[in-house]
Amino acid sequence: MRSTSLARSSIGKAVFIVLAVGGGALVVGFLYASGSADSSEQDIQPVAFSHKLHAGQLEVSCLFCHRYATISRVASVPSMQLCMGCHQNLKEDTSETKKLRVYWEQETPIQWVRLQRLPDFVYFTHEMHLHHGMECIHCHGRVEDMPHTPRAATFEMGWCLSCHRREGGSLDCLTCHH
Amino acid sequence: MNVGRRTLFKLAGAATAGSIIPGCKKEVDRLVPYLLPDDQIVPGVANWYASVCGECAAGCGILVRVMEGRAKKIEGNPDHPVNHGKLCAKGQASLQSLYNPDRLRHPFQREGPRGAGTFVPLKWEEGLQRLAQVLRDGRVPPMMVTRPVSGTLARLLSEFMDSMGGTLYFYAPDAELPLHAAWRESMGGDGAPVYDLAHADYLLSFGAPFLEHWLSPVAMGIAFGQMRQGRATVRGRYVHIEPRMSVTAANADQWLPIRPGSEGMLALGIGQLILDAHRSTAHGQEFERFHRFYGSVRLDEVEHVTGLSREVIVRLAQDFDAARAPVAIGGGSACSQTNGTLSLISINGLNALAHHLGRAPIAQGWCHDEARDDRSIPWLTEQMMFELAEKQDAGAGPVLLLYGCNPLFTMPRAVPIKTLFEQASFVVSFSSFLDETSEYADLLLPDRDALESWGDHVVENPAQTMGLSQPVVTPLYETQQIGDTILELSRRLNLGHGQSKTFYDLLRGRWKTVLADQPHTQTADWFEPEWIELLQQGGLWREPSQAAGPVNFAPSRAFEQARFVGEEPDYPFVLHPYASMALGHGEGANRPWLQELPDTLTTVVWGSWVEVNPRTAKDLGITHGDVVRVISPFGTLTASTVLFPGIHPDVVAMPLGQGHASYGRYAKNRGVNPAELLAPALDSMTGTLAAGATRVRIERTGEKRRLATLERPTMEPSDLIAIDRR
Repeated sequence: MRSTSLARSSIGKAVFIVLAVGGGALVVGFLYASGSADSSEQDIQPVAFSHKLHAGQLEVSCLFCHRYATISRVASVPSMQLCMGCHQNLKEDTSETKKLRVYWEQETPIQWVRLQRLPDFVYFTHEMHLHHGMECIHCHGRVEDMPHTPRAATFEMGWCLSCHRREGGSLDCLTCHH
Repeated sequence: MNVGRRTLFKLAGAATAGSIIPGCKKEVDRLVPYLLPDDQIVPGVANWYASVCGECAAGCGILVRVMEGRAKKIEGNPDHPVNHGKLCAKGQASLQSLYNPDRLRHPFQREGPRGAGTFVPLKWEEGLQRLAQVLRDGRVPPMMVTRPVSGTLARLLSEFMDSMGGTLYFYAPDAELPLHAAWRESMGGDGAPVYDLAHADYLLSFGAPFLEHWLSPVAMGIAFGQMRQGRATVRGRYVHIEPRMSVTAANADQWLPIRPGSEGMLALGIGQLILDAHRSTAHGQEFERFHRFYGSVRLDEVEHVTGLSREVIVRLAQDFDAARAPVAIGGGSACSQTNGTLSLISINGLNALAHHLGRAPIAQGWCHDEARDDRSIPWLTEQMMFELAEKQDAGAGPVLLLYGCNPLFTMPRAVPIKTLFEQASFVVSFSSFLDETSEYADLLLPDRDALESWGDHVVENPAQTMGLSQPVVTPLYETQQIGDTILELSRRLNLGHGQSKTFYDLLRGRWKTVLADQPHTQTADWFEPEWIELLQQGGLWREPSQAAGPVNFAPSRAFEQARFVGEEPDYPFVLHPYASMALGHGEGANRPWLQELPDTLTTVVWGSWVEVNPRTAKDLGITHGDVVRVISPFGTLTASTVLFPGIHPDVVAMPLGQGHASYGRYAKNRGVNPAELLAPALDSMTGTLAAGATRVRIERTGEKRRLATLERPTMEPSDLIAIDRR
């Protein structure tokens, strides 16, 4: 009887230790992963910009604002001047466009919260993917339907490779890691 | 330790919580757009700008990688005839001059007493006005000391000082003036020495550190590679003669440790043996001077002074004589003695002799087609400092203008350089950093960084290279290029040559005259496209041409022995201070990349040390890491000992470059400056400092300090490396 209870309590302790250590590892791992691929960031911007309005209702082409995507590694965020190119001529102001005007008049750029970011050990270029004939929606989803812009995919290596395999892209490690 | 269960849980819990804490501090990345887009900038795509490296006088071509308006990486320009796409560590690290946190960001004026180093900020307008006023009121003509410059800036500075009635001096601690003085007397002509190492088959170097920092080290490194491996059937032989095994010496087939100051004596012996071997043919008037100069010593005297055996000397002479394309080069340790110029006459005379005996001309004097503006500019030698200090009275001295040099750090304390500063009526510095010299200034008008400036650089080489440098980034701070400052001063003082509004206009104007002589299209706006093409290319150069002038060996004096300061019984060792490959004479000490570069031979990182032969160390009872006092008749320093088998037992060596009392956070209070030990011994012909002519003694302090080294010193005093003297 005594020995059984001792055995039972040892099992209980072992389970407790495993859970505690495993739980700790999970939390640390989650935080580490979120740090490297920062998918945890919420789309709460200084100015509530809507892709649904601009790309959806107004049918502005992605490349009108993200104009360096076809010639550079990065797609780039539009300059304030580009925003104002249209907004200067709009008669009606909403609370958000008023904020935009204030930024412009004070000659301060809007500090957007970055949502899409690959870790430093990955070399990725927009230019090459667009030249291959890919569309923005293949990776970023239908932003024209989204009032907020979450990540459409994990942007992890397995996800990249599944497409590279399907499309016959390079599978050499050094293509992306160098 | 007995850890209970509860303690274990507590510790584990604390450890888990501790590891989570850094994860909780989430950094939010921001995307900051341009307010107004720049047409020239595509985010994520690099622009490469061609320019000229400003770190030394070699003038290597560089390509700077600029992304989003920031300079990120510097590489060699593959098209440039000097460095063919290669670049040394100093050039790579010059980015850290641009981004250095200790750069002067705007003008300053002195607040406390002169030399106290306390300054208050000033507006450019006030600074310029103050300097113009001081120059207008000056009772004696002003004096300007700069690093050696060439091209448009040399002309501007020289014209400015001429119109003020003042004098412009060049000063650089590594100028090797004896080399140039000796060239005139041993090879004839006024040309710059050009050594075509690539085509040599036997190279005899007397102390020249040509793979480290001598003349044009990148170009010479490439040529050396050609000499050793670039030809299918010939591998050039290389023998190096120097008291200490430098990095250059470590690349030789044979290194011969010689007594300091006896390099010229050895060359005399070799010359004499060669003349003896050609006794039947080498006579007549052209050989008369050789016989007189080289015949002035006895061979047993050469043996005695150099410490080399007769067989070794005979072998060197035979090998030199038997080579098809032999060359003797001298510099570095051979240059820094009281008989520096005479030694170099004796060394370079071997080239003249080889030429007369029909060998291929490897050493050539090169003269630029055009008259060079910087050729006539005098050099500030240590001897001149003594003369100037004698002449002047306190407070009545000239207005002193300083640019790109730090003589208060690089000149020994025994040279009265400080007197010059104390006597000056006003001191203004154009330096980008607050260093030992600019701390003595009354006014600081900081120059822009080389990567923010326009300029050109003329190189004396057979390709007649004129490098063109352009700003690759928008200037970071409120600084002004020295050229613009001088033009502005000229205007304020009505000196008459202020037609060009900016230095950029002046530069363009000068290049327009240069290009007008070249074939070009006959349209009205021919210059603009040509200018842009030159900027993209990095300058102008031609097909290298061979233009060896007539060789004329005409020494004006007979050879002399080197003299040393300090009596031998009291000071048994000769101090061999050598320029560090990374830090140079101290100018690289504020670049962290260069500071953390280990010394190639001793693998020591950071700080200063004394290199002692293990045999000597055994006699003195000191071991690796012992802190010793190095005492010269002029000063005392303490540093850790490094046992270094590659050094003559009668010599101790110390690297230069450290020991700054100023010059920013990375340079300050690190190591010691061996220049403080040096005696004011001068080269007998040029009057420059003979840095290798001071004797020292070594005393133990009983202290031991661990040196930061990459390699553990494994050598015990018992397994000494014997010096091979074949």
